[in-house]
Amino acid sequence: MLKNNFALRREENIIHLTYKDIVMLKKEIIYRNPLLNLGYEHEDILPNGGLGAVLAHAGVGKTALLVQLALNMMIREESVMHVSLQDAVSKVDLWYHELFHNIAGNFSEAEIKEYWDKIQPYRFIMTFRVESFSVPTLEERLTDLMQQNIFKPHTVIIDGLKFDEAGRGQLVLLKELAKKYAMRIWFTVHEHLNEKPAENGLPVSFQHVTDLFDVIVQLEAKGEDVYIKALKGKSSNAKPQTLLLDPATMLIKDGK
Amino acid sequence: MKIDDQKIRNIGISAHIDSGKTTLTERILFYTKRIHAIHDVKGKDGVGATMDSMELEKERGITIASAATYCEWNGYEINIIDTPGHVDFTIEVERSLRVLDGAILVLCAVGGVQSQSITVDQQMKRYKVPCIAFINKCDRSGANPFRVIGQLKTKLGHNAVAMQIPIGLENEAEGVVDLVNMKALYFDGDNGEKVRTEEIPQNLLEEAKAKREELIDAASLFSDELTEASLEEKEITPQMLYTAVRKGTLKREITPVYMGSAYKNKAVQPMLDGVTYLLPCPSEVENIALDMEKNEEQVILENDPDKPIVALAFKLEDGKYGQLTYIRVYQGTVAKGSTIVNVRSGKKVKVGRVVRMHADQMEEVEYLHSGYIGALFGIECSSGDTFVSPGINLSLTSMYVPKPVISLAIAPKDNKSQMSMSKALNRFSKEDPTFKTFVDPETNETIIEGMGELHLDIYVERMRREYGADVTTGNPRVAYRETITQRADFNYTHRKQTGGAGQFGRIAGYLEPISDAEFVFENKIFGGSIPTQYISACEKGFKQSMEKGPKLEFPITGVKVVINDGASHAVDSSDMAFQAAARGAFRDAYLRAKPVIHEPIMKVVVETPPEFQGPVMGLLNQRRGMIVGSQDEGVMCVIESQMPLAEMFGFSTVLRSSTQGKAQFTMEFAYYRQVPQSIAEKIALEVAANKKSAA
Repeated sequence: MLKNNFALRREENIIHLTYKDIVMLKKEIIYRNPLLNLGYEHEDILPNGGLGAVLAHAGVGKTALLVQLALNMMIREESVMHVSLQDAVSKVDLWYHELFHNIAGNFSEAEIKEYWDKIQPYRFIMTFRVESFSVPTLEERLTDLMQQNIFKPHTVIIDGLKFDEAGRGQLVLLKELAKKYAMRIWFTVHEHLNEKPAENGLPVSFQHVTDLFDVIVQLEAKGEDVYIKALKGKSSNAKPQTLLLDPATMLIKDGK
Repeated sequence: MKIDDQKIRNIGISAHIDSGKTTLTERILFYTKRIHAIHDVKGKDGVGATMDSMELEKERGITIASAATYCEWNGYEINIIDTPGHVDFTIEVERSLRVLDGAILVLCAVGGVQSQSITVDQQMKRYKVPCIAFINKCDRSGANPFRVIGQLKTKLGHNAVAMQIPIGLENEAEGVVDLVNMKALYFDGDNGEKVRTEEIPQNLLEEAKAKREELIDAASLFSDELTEASLEEKEITPQMLYTAVRKGTLKREITPVYMGSAYKNKAVQPMLDGVTYLLPCPSEVENIALDMEKNEEQVILENDPDKPIVALAFKLEDGKYGQLTYIRVYQGTVAKGSTIVNVRSGKKVKVGRVVRMHADQMEEVEYLHSGYIGALFGIECSSGDTFVSPGINLSLTSMYVPKPVISLAIAPKDNKSQMSMSKALNRFSKEDPTFKTFVDPETNETIIEGMGELHLDIYVERMRREYGADVTTGNPRVAYRETITQRADFNYTHRKQTGGAGQFGRIAGYLEPISDAEFVFENKIFGGSIPTQYISACEKGFKQSMEKGPKLEFPITGVKVVINDGASHAVDSSDMAFQAAARGAFRDAYLRAKPVIHEPIMKVVVETPPEFQGPVMGLLNQRRGMIVGSQDEGVMCVIESQMPLAEMFGFSTVLRSSTQGKAQFTMEFAYYRQVPQSIAEKIALEVAANKKSAA
């Protein structure tokens, strides 16, 4: 519940946090779970062992959306493993810093740093070269971390997996992995510019694996705005709002 | 005026320990007639290699400080900067990489690309230093230069291409086949000084032809002329091939590979030819300075001797005739009698003697043009200082110097050592801005401070070797800091009446935490309750209190002091009384402002083969640190983490033993963070125990 004395400051609909209490900060970000507003039912969006996908053309904001989702979980003290097949650890880390700074824009540097120190242990970045990534390698690394009690992810984000090449087999293995370790896995899916969508609005190259996903969200750039659309998995009786990704800050904001 | 610097090469020889780097340098100096006898690295003959001029280097067989030396080969002037192969001497390594234009990457024909070669290679990549490779130790059993070329490709991602093939390996190593000229080269004479050119032996002809094809294929990407000649099967001249390979080398898109055995005097001379043909001259390298007047904006320097001077002092040495300052001139001409300004201190100095160095010996010259490396006498400066012509304000290095994070108490064993120790400390702190020294006024101990355990170890060791100063050391201490976490008010009266003039001063106000400054003092007194002439005494008193926390005695940072009321006495108030009142007020309020301890957190990056990733993460996890992530790079895996410095003592030994010596790590200061409560209690106990033992 939000208290009035901790009212939000809203600036062009972008959600800023304006109070100092870390507990309230947590509540606020949880309350503002971006995808809940799209009509998804619970905080995690994905069920245990479920797979989710964020589809978009290059440069529209797939990573930014998933990093916000990850920040949301980190604040709820749920561990997120960010697996990137395209960027170095330092670059992925920068994404988190940038977005967290933008979200907590009204706090002082010292306060942001303090919050960040508290939530950073809930994140683990793992990067692979595309060619050296395989599900058995990922599982080997995961078990290494879990057995030594270093890190047990609640959610895994896999950024940069090529769906046309990876094929169904790899995804089936990842789904089994998600079930085995009771995790949720989010993927970024790159839509090609000249690819025409199928009847259900999904890219043709993605059709062969759609059934494996519990939730599919699409980002679409229209004019200056980026719309966030729920394509699969939302509750039928939910009243979805329109959500936008602010191109300047890459933060999720309510639709106009 | 543009000078002809086509025949100048400023090069470094980069490699990991034990790949024969210093031996190779020694041979280069011998063949270029700079020395007339060859000495071994580990000094069986008691002399030691020429470049390893420090005793400690001679004993350990490693190069610590980079000496610069000058030699000539076929009309080319080559300055060699001997770079430290050890990852921990970061400042030295970075400075020497800054100064050189090209490098020879030395690899061992048996060991191949080892983890330290990877670090060295990364450093070169960071500074975009073009390089050629030399596969050394081809005479050793198990030598296989082509395996090493493969590793250069797979492990380091170089587009490595052989310029030679060996004529016999291991015991039978006789010479090399030059694939550019298609000739066999043999090295005769006692020290391999006579190069004999012959036709390629029949049994190697096929292989040589095939490898030459590979070379042409790789080089043709950089030359249309070569591609055309190769497609039309015209004659490919050595000039054509060298030009193409050179183009690729300068862009760092091709790495020409030479091979031989420095120890057995085989094939060092062709590699020197490679240096002159393939590595860049100073004007082919872009050098950047920072404009101090425009917020460190980048400025590209011109390799023009007529422009204003910009030169970097990259190394200092105390010699018989005073301080010797090694400089590299990037722009302008530093001549005898010219006036230069030290950008850091703003001091103007007149250049006295200008010399060119050859390790320990020197040769006097009139001037040093841009692109040249040499040394100056009698110049007061620190390492890393930039010298410019009067009127410009460019710096070659950022003025940011990190604060030391670790300290060590040292004590001389006898009187003689006392003198030598202070001499040594004086020199070290000038040479290395991250190394500091002072005397603790309470314990009277001499304290040295630096950036890590090994950093200080090396200086203690150097004190013993070079200055004969025998010192004992205490346990390393982490540089903790204190800060406050909440506002606390004060209203303190200092009153003293013990005969004679009394002392009186009252100060009221508050302390509060600030994050972006170490200390801020604000005077909000209106109406003169404290007369203006005493305000600076108040500030001084508070500032003094910041030097040492009242409880744990660590320096205090991040405090804002606001004074808003007070009282004075017409006769008894004085500067001293208000300083004492400020100290009292601070002591009084400080503990109520909930002080906490902050500790240095280091960014620790471990490079390990993937099979040891699990154990390494376990090691890091045991140390109160946090693993930020792991980066899988095929043959190596890089783990980034943030660790408290206090937990890193002895880490290198543990890491080595749990990874069969295959992992290595680098450590640099990241930031200060609050110490957890349980650890803070431990620190408090330690401090109490130390105090007790000091008493």
